[in-house]
Amino acid sequence: MLPELGEFALWISLPISIWGVVLAFLGGRWGRGDLVLSAERSVHAVLFLLAVASAGIIAAFLGDRFEYWYVSNYSSRNLETYFKVSGLWAGQRGSLVFWALNVAFFSSIAVWTNRARNRELMLWVSGTLLAVLAFFIVITLFITPPFERLPFTPQDGRGLNPQLQNYWMTIHPPTLYLGFTAFTVPFAFAIGALLSGRLDARWIQITRKWVLTSWFFLTLGIVFGMRWAYEELGWGGYWFWDPVENASLLPWIVATAFLHSVMIQESRGMLKVWNMVLVCLTFIMTIFATFLTRSGLIESVHSFALSLEIAYAFLGFMAVISIICLVLIVWRLPELRSERQFESFLSRESAFLLNNLVLLGAGFAVLWGTMFPLLTEGLTGSKVAVGPPFFNQVNIPIGLILLALMGIGPVIAWRRASARNLKKNFMIPIGVGLLTAGILAALGMRHVYALLTFAIGAFVLWVIVTEFWKGTRARARIEGEGAPTAFFHLIRRNRRRWGGYIVHVGVVVMFMGFAGAAFDREVRQSLEPGESVSIQSAFGHEYTLTYEGISTQRGQNMWQWIALMSVERDGRFIGPMTTERRFYEAPPQPMTEVGIRSTFYEDLYVILATLDDRVGIGNEPDFQRATFQVMVNPLVPWIWYGGLVIAIGTLIGLWPGGPVQSQRPVAGVTKPAARRPGNEPEPQPAGVG
Amino acid sequence: MSRDRRFFAGLVGVATVVTWLIWTGISDTMVYYLTPSELMDRMNATPELVEQGVKVSGNVVPGSYERSTAELLHTFLVSDPKHPEVTLTVHFRHPLPDTFSEEAEVVMEGRYMGDGVFEAHEVLTKCGSRYEAAPEEMKGDDAYGYGGTGTT
Repeated sequence: MLPELGEFALWISLPISIWGVVLAFLGGRWGRGDLVLSAERSVHAVLFLLAVASAGIIAAFLGDRFEYWYVSNYSSRNLETYFKVSGLWAGQRGSLVFWALNVAFFSSIAVWTNRARNRELMLWVSGTLLAVLAFFIVITLFITPPFERLPFTPQDGRGLNPQLQNYWMTIHPPTLYLGFTAFTVPFAFAIGALLSGRLDARWIQITRKWVLTSWFFLTLGIVFGMRWAYEELGWGGYWFWDPVENASLLPWIVATAFLHSVMIQESRGMLKVWNMVLVCLTFIMTIFATFLTRSGLIESVHSFALSLEIAYAFLGFMAVISIICLVLIVWRLPELRSERQFESFLSRESAFLLNNLVLLGAGFAVLWGTMFPLLTEGLTGSKVAVGPPFFNQVNIPIGLILLALMGIGPVIAWRRASARNLKKNFMIPIGVGLLTAGILAALGMRHVYALLTFAIGAFVLWVIVTEFWKGTRARARIEGEGAPTAFFHLIRRNRRRWGGYIVHVGVVVMFMGFAGAAFDREVRQSLEPGESVSIQSAFGHEYTLTYEGISTQRGQNMWQWIALMSVERDGRFIGPMTTERRFYEAPPQPMTEVGIRSTFYEDLYVILATLDDRVGIGNEPDFQRATFQVMVNPLVPWIWYGGLVIAIGTLIGLWPGGPVQSQRPVAGVTKPAARRPGNEPEPQPAGVG
Repeated sequence: MSRDRRFFAGLVGVATVVTWLIWTGISDTMVYYLTPSELMDRMNATPELVEQGVKVSGNVVPGSYERSTAELLHTFLVSDPKHPEVTLTVHFRHPLPDTFSEEAEVVMEGRYMGDGVFEAHEVLTKCGSRYEAAPEEMKGDDAYGYGGTGTT
């Protein structure tokens, strides 16, 4: 019953969202508060209806309702319940409903939390949110209907792609979707601010939190995706510069730029047009990501089947949004003028601006590399390919510049840095960076980019740790608190600043993890039971893996062929390890399950490459010879640790409650009056030019 | 005004660096994406292109897959969808993707070594890895039969 109800709810949600758009804009024009209220209620109503529609899809999966095209294509009777629930976002049709549900969820929160505030903004905001919702509902109803029925009811479904039958895959897409969809709210506020002319600090303040929320989920979603690729795709890497991966990176990059430049607007009243453009651009990039993933126009391992209708629908939507943004920004240009001018190259403002330009440069490079094959084919007719080498060659230098800026930003003076400021704040950290490079080079590291990553990383970490230490020490002295208490109070007093620094620490750790890839080691060997293979890691450990044999096991919807290895490190037995191949029944497909043994600084990664008897599914192997690919990937665990640190830092920055104003000034503050919201005390006198 | 100009110069500077990175990146790493017959035409026209990196897509010829046990070496033939008479012998020394089968359409990166041999350093399967089947495949009962590894 629930699937039928879900279908009904999905149909009802369309007129209600369109009606809401009309009410919101008419209510705004005529100044009728009751109409606006009604529009806001339709946001909540659409959320309810989409929740019912989603529940209907899940119920269809759980009830094995194979008469639905979507269910029969993404499920089978023997699929684990867990994956049946995640069927909601396993394929194009369900995931677009899920997408709309997420937009409605965040819209509802935004409308609810602002029910008594920012009224003059909210009518435009609800109107915009409902318009975006209406677009997605139209797509799900008319292009990718999730409740479409087959002319017959199959006995069983085709099953879920085995690559999606993985824990990380059940949480990676929803997290990413939360990130993408949360950005609808900042976009709606930007449009609201432009339409209402309320371009003061209000909309920026609300928007910043929402952007950070979206950024939090995007970051987590991207890291989860890397984790999934690492565990499930079985080639020893986590990032392939695949078009769909790039698509998720683009809004992340632009949102990162906004999170930095918004500080300049808040503290200095500059870059207003720029910030408006960044919000619009990020939203367009989230739609672009959906377009790339769902149109199938660009070949990718992730993409859905080619669908021109979807391509045109999303292209049209992007075009409409771009034009609206452009027209509105040009219209409000006089009100978006900067309150101040840049005073010097050597200032924190410049560092922020450079960070923005470099981030957008990186974004452009990623976009260009992704679209280049399509453009070349369209213009010249010859097919070319641009792969990971391109993205690495372009983005590693850009990434290193960004890394360095994370160390420069926190300690360079606002407005105009004096020679004294530079010398005082940069001498020691740069020394630490050089020392790190020297030590690593002496230890035999010759990879230039890796050396640079560790040197710059050490410089940044030193800067940030010193900032924490100085702040804690000053607070401990003035407030008479113990060091741990002072440390926590310090963070609580300005969560944004210290949370941001913690995020930077996470990014540094993650970059060092990326640099580890320069030292991956790999051997391939064909073994009989009892034979062993050895590999030396970059850290100098010698791993010896002895192949003990293969056992076969029946899983719920597959056969598992599990190879057992016993692992020795530097001659000492450290435990058994398994690596498997699976043969799924629905859909019939083999699947490699890698074995990973993680330590703090390196992963032993074992792939069961081929079994000797690979003739067919279910056949007993005649003999147990198998080929193994053994890799030692240094520092990969740091990527996950870095991700965790970034998440913690972001949560600190997001925690409700603004910066707590301390009663007494912290030592080193010479001009407490110069404190602005979101800005920290200056450790040196600001030189006015 | 001079200040604005200086920042404009900064912007142009960043744009120049990024453009230069993209330009050199493309020209250093871009490879042609060809079908086997296009590859052979190109090689016949300009033999000096042998051993240059290239990306090739085609269909695996059923029954052509062989694997040597001693070392990990996969050998199979790939034909051109439009000119099935043109085939390439592919050598590949890494684990094949899970979705590889003798009916698969593959995309390979590697080098043409002469004498019809293509040394691949990367093999991806095209259709099998898509997460959504093309809608036509769903028509008719037959789509539900588990005929073998190549149904997707």
